[in-house]
This record gives sequence, C-alpha cells and structure tokens, in this order.
Amino acid sequence: MRVELTEVLWFEEHAVTLNELADLCSLPMPMLEELVGAGAILPLQADRAPPRYGAQALQAARAARRLQQDFDLDSSALVLALGLLDRIDELERQVRALRAKLPASIRS
Amino acid sequence: MKYKDYYAVMGLARGASEDDIKKSYRRLARKYHPDVSKEPDAEEKFKDVAEAYQTLKDPEKRAAYDQLGQRPAGEEFQPPPDWRQQWQGGGAGPGGTSGGSGGFGPEGFSADDLDLSDLFAHLRAGRAGGAGPGFGAQGASGAMPGQDYEIPVQISIEDAFHGTEINLDLSMPEYDDQGRLRRVPRAFTARVPKGATDGQRLRVPGKGGKGFNGGRNGDLYLDIALKPHSLYRVSGHDLYMDLALTPWEAVLGTSVEVTTPGGVVRLKVPAGTQAGRQLRLPHRGLPIPKGEQGDLYAVVEIAVPSVVNDKERALYEQLAGASSFDPRAKVTGDSDAR
Repeated sequence: MRVELTEVLWFEEHAVTLNELADLCSLPMPMLEELVGAGAILPLQADRAPPRYGAQALQAARAARRLQQDFDLDSSALVLALGLLDRIDELERQVRALRAKLPASIRS
Repeated sequence: MKYKDYYAVMGLARGASEDDIKKSYRRLARKYHPDVSKEPDAEEKFKDVAEAYQTLKDPEKRAAYDQLGQRPAGEEFQPPPDWRQQWQGGGAGPGGTSGGSGGFGPEGFSADDLDLSDLFAHLRAGRAGGAGPGFGAQGASGAMPGQDYEIPVQISIEDAFHGTEINLDLSMPEYDDQGRLRRVPRAFTARVPKGATDGQRLRVPGKGGKGFNGGRNGDLYLDIALKPHSLYRVSGHDLYMDLALTPWEAVLGTSVEVTTPGGVVRLKVPAGTQAGRQLRLPHRGLPIPKGEQGDLYAVVEIAVPSVVNDKERALYEQLAGASSFDPRAKVTGDSDAR
C-alpha cells in the first residue's frame, strides 16, 4: 500500500533550536557546542536569542556526525574538515555558476 | 541470506592484523567517504567498506564472521543454528521478549528477511548472564531513536518548475512487536513542491526507521539533484540557455521566440548585440518557494555559416568593402603604443 506523505519540510523554512539540532544530527551536545563556538556551524541570525539553525547548519552538523563517526575525528579536526568542505562547496558552486553562463562554444 | 566477503571488500587477507584492518579502512574511507569523495558510486562503496569495518574491527564480531567460513561473495547461506539461539535467548530483543517464537526459525521470520549487515549491526559483545557473543538490539532497556535515511532524488527541470510526486520504494530494517528484526518494504509517494533546486534537501519527519522503547522515529531526507537538461543550465534558481543569432540579427537586432519552462515567450534582441551577452528574461527561471522566481538568461552566440552561396559571398564582399569596422583596432593600437 502506498502512503501519501503530507509532511515534507523545506529545511530553509523550518529553523530549529540547538537542542533540536543535536537531536536531529545525533551529535553529543558538548561537541555540537564546540563546533558552534568555533564558527563551524552558524545560526541563521547571530544576534537573535535564542539562536535558530537552518538547512545549512543541519547539513553541516550531520556531516560532522558522519565524519566524527567514520574517521574518529575530534572537535578541532571537525572544525578544520567542515571549513574545508564549506570552501569546496562554495568553489564548486562558483564553477557551476560560471559554466552555466558560458556559451556552448566555450563550454565544451 | 547472501554471504559478503568483508575481507575482499577491504582488500585484506583473512589473517590481517587489527592494524592492517584500521589502515585499510582509513585508506578506503579517504577514497570513498561520501562527504569527501567525488568517485562515482562512492556512497555505495563506502557503505560496503563501513559495513565490513564495523564487523572486522570488533574481535568478537570478527570471530563470529570467521565462523561462517570462506565462501564466494553472493552465495546463499543459512546462519549457524547457535546464532538462532543467541538471537532468541536472554530477552535480548528491543521489545523485551524472552524465548519467544521469533528468530530465524520457520515460526518466526526467515533469515531471507535480513541482510548480513543487519545481524552484525546488532551483535552484542557479551550477553548478560552468558558467555560469548549474542544478538539483540543495543540499549534494549532504553529508548532508541530510529535510523535516519538519506535518499538521492533526481528530478527534471520541468518537475522542479511545476512540482512533482516521486515514488519511493524502500526496504528498512525494523523491529516488529515481538522485538524481532526484519526488513520491511515501505512505499511512499513524496510530494516535491515546486521550487526545488540542485543541492536542496527536503526533510520528511518521522518517516525513517522506527524508534524503539519510546525513541523517536528517524527522518527521511531527500537530497534533490536536477537532471542535466538539453536546453537549460542551472545556477541556483536562475536558468541559462544558449541563443544562437546570425551575424545580421546581432547587428540589426531582432525578435526571437524562446522556449522557457513556463512556455514560449518572445525576446527582443537589441541591435549591436555581442557574442556572450546575457539577455535576461525576468521571472522565467525556477520558482523560489516563498513565491518569487529566478530569471532566465539567454546567452548569445553568433553563428557563422560555414558554407555560403555565390550571392551571399558577393554580399559579404560588398559589406567588407563598405565597412570601416575593425574588431582588432584596440589590439593593433596597443601594439603600436609599445
């Protein structure tokens, strides 16, 4: 039997608290707090209290949990890895955007 | 149940040391980890590697695995009878059942319901009150959250523009009411709202693996990727497409029909349009969930005919004679200045 889903959520529209973020990514709260403190995971608005976390934070937190589990990384290594992955994502986004703007004769 | 050769997956001999296992895992994880790898099928390969490592790094799991002997990968086999007893005994299941009719036997579910990884994932080191390894859910006395699942979903640009429904047929390991683990087919139809774009994620709360003992159900994450399109290229919610013009259309200007995801529109090309210029069609790109819409850009290419007839050649020669246009004037001027 096929079940119709009605609760599909856009990450972008459903910000969560730090506790909810910890629950969703299964990272221990002290480690998550370290990542937030080091700026590897950012709230949507830095000046809003209590801070709320969106899609990007959840993606980073889940990646942190995978990396921590699969590579036995500590908080410092996670901060470094997340920062580098972030830079790679940004560079890839820029490359895709630039390629999209090129005419076919130059692109291929 | 199909046999998996964990040693072969990790490129190891059966007598490999713990150190060899760790080194091999690190090497393969660096190559295939989905967060760092660009290898094709990296995620699938890493799953196999991680599954093999989880078993081989643990001496008791490894001993239980070695007990199966060496078989060709993919060969059907039945787990040894003592595994069944271990699975059933000691109230090890998450539902707290003790000595029920579950397990691998004909009265319970078949071993065909399970994957080898399901068994080893739930192999406990040292059962309470018994010697040696046993099977059962970890943390049976406490709440266990269900597993989250991430599913890559490819949709077309047209689907992203209009919204779509995708059918998901999953097989999830779940515990039944008796605390027995089995794979359960789950079929969903997920509605992807219009405005999805590359790299976006949808969360479907509570539709992942079931939680136990009051633990929350896992979530389902849909990782959206847009399929390559013959006409459009995507950058965020903006679309780009090539627009080929003849030299005279570029010089004189024209009006052309352009196919957008929302239908055909007419685009005015101004006189003197250069190759590479981006002509913007506002709000003709992909929808943005909050009600806005990206733009569509037509990237101009000047197409030059490779073959011309006599009349065309004569006209080009006439144009060459009459025109004072020098596209290399700047280059020539710079050369002269040196």
